Amino acid sequence: MDYNVIDQSKEITILELLDRVLNKGVILTGDIVISVADIDLVYLGVKLMLSSVETMEQLKAGKATGVDRLIS
Amino acid sequence: MEMIIYSIIALKTGPGQLNTVLNGMKGVSGNGLYAVTFNEIAAVVSDIGNIDFITDKSVAIEYAGVIEALYQQFTLIPMRFGSIMGSTCPIIRMLERNYSEIQKNLQKVDNKFEFGLKVICNSETLKTELQSITAKDTSTVTITSSETKNSIYRDYVNKKLQEHRLEDLLLGYVDSVITDITRNLDRLNAINKFKRMLTASIMVDSVFLLDKWRKDDLIEAVGDIQDHYPRLKFVMTGPWPPYNFVEITIK
Repeated sequence: MDYNVIDQSKEITILELLDRVLNKGVILTGDIVISVADIDLVYLGVKLMLSSVETMEQLKAGKATGVDRLIS
Repeated sequence: MEMIIYSIIALKTGPGQLNTVLNGMKGVSGNGLYAVTFNEIAAVVSDIGNIDFITDKSVAIEYAGVIEALYQQFTLIPMRFGSIMGSTCPIIRMLERNYSEIQKNLQKVDNKFEFGLKVICNSETLKTELQSITAKDTSTVTITSSETKNSIYRDYVNKKLQEHRLEDLLLGYVDSVITDITRNLDRLNAINKFKRMLTASIMVDSVFLLDKWRKDDLIEAVGDIQDHYPRLKFVMTGPWPPYNFVEITIK
C-alpha cells in the first residue's frame, strides 16, 4: 500500500470518523425519538458532542495546518 | 430501558452468523450487543442506562468502532450517533415501516466501500501563482480601472476587482482538479460527491463509493493524479462504512 497516498495518521482518522458518525449515516426522525425520550434532550446531547469537536478544533488552531482542520 | 441502534444489517444467510459475531462483541459502555430482526434485516442494538453519555466523545468513537467491526463482515447501513429507541417493539415497527427503502439502500451499498479524498493546498500561495500565470489578463483590469482614476473609490474598486478575479481563478482551478479526478476515476464506476473549498486549505472534499475489489485500482488512480499536481496534497481515508451514500429518512 502506498503510504504517500493513504495517509493513516491517527489524527485524520479520528476527525474523519467523528465527522461521519456525527453528521452522516441514517438518523431517526419524528415520533419515534419523541416516544423514547424528550426530543430536546437527545438533540442537546448531540449538539454538546458537536461542540466538543469544535472546541477540540479551536484548541488545535494554534498549531493549525491544512490537515488539522478536517472538520469545518 | 432505552436502546441505541448502531446499524441495520442485511441477513443474507439468516441471523445465525450475526448472533455469533455479536456474542463476541461489546457495545458502548461495555453493554452486550444483540439483534432485533424483521424478515431479512436486523438492527444491531445495545441497552443504555443513562442518556447523558451521549455528550462523551470517547463513546462516539466507541460507537463508530462497533459499526466498523460489523462492516467488516456484513452489508450494513450505518446509523448516526444518537439513534435511540425505547424497546424492541418500536424498533421492529420501524424496520417494518421502512423495509423496502432499507433493502434498496442495502443493495446499493452491497460489496462496496466508501473512501474519502481531500485535496489540500495553500490557497494564498496558489492564488499568487495563478495571478502570475494570468498576468496578461490582469493588465486588462488595470486599463479598465484607469477609467475611474479620478474616483475616490478607485483603489477600493481595483482591490475588489482583483480579489474577485483571484477567487474566480481559484474556483476555476478547483473545478479543473475535480474534472481531472472524475476523469481518472471514471473507469472504476465509482459514485462520487464533491465539495469545493471546504476551508481555505481544503480545496476539494470528496467521497467515493465503489466495489471492494477495486480498492487497489482507486489507490493507483489517485496516485497518478497526485503526480500531476505536486503542489497539492491528496489525502485518502478509508475504507469506511457507507456513511455518505445511504439516502433514507427513517419514518
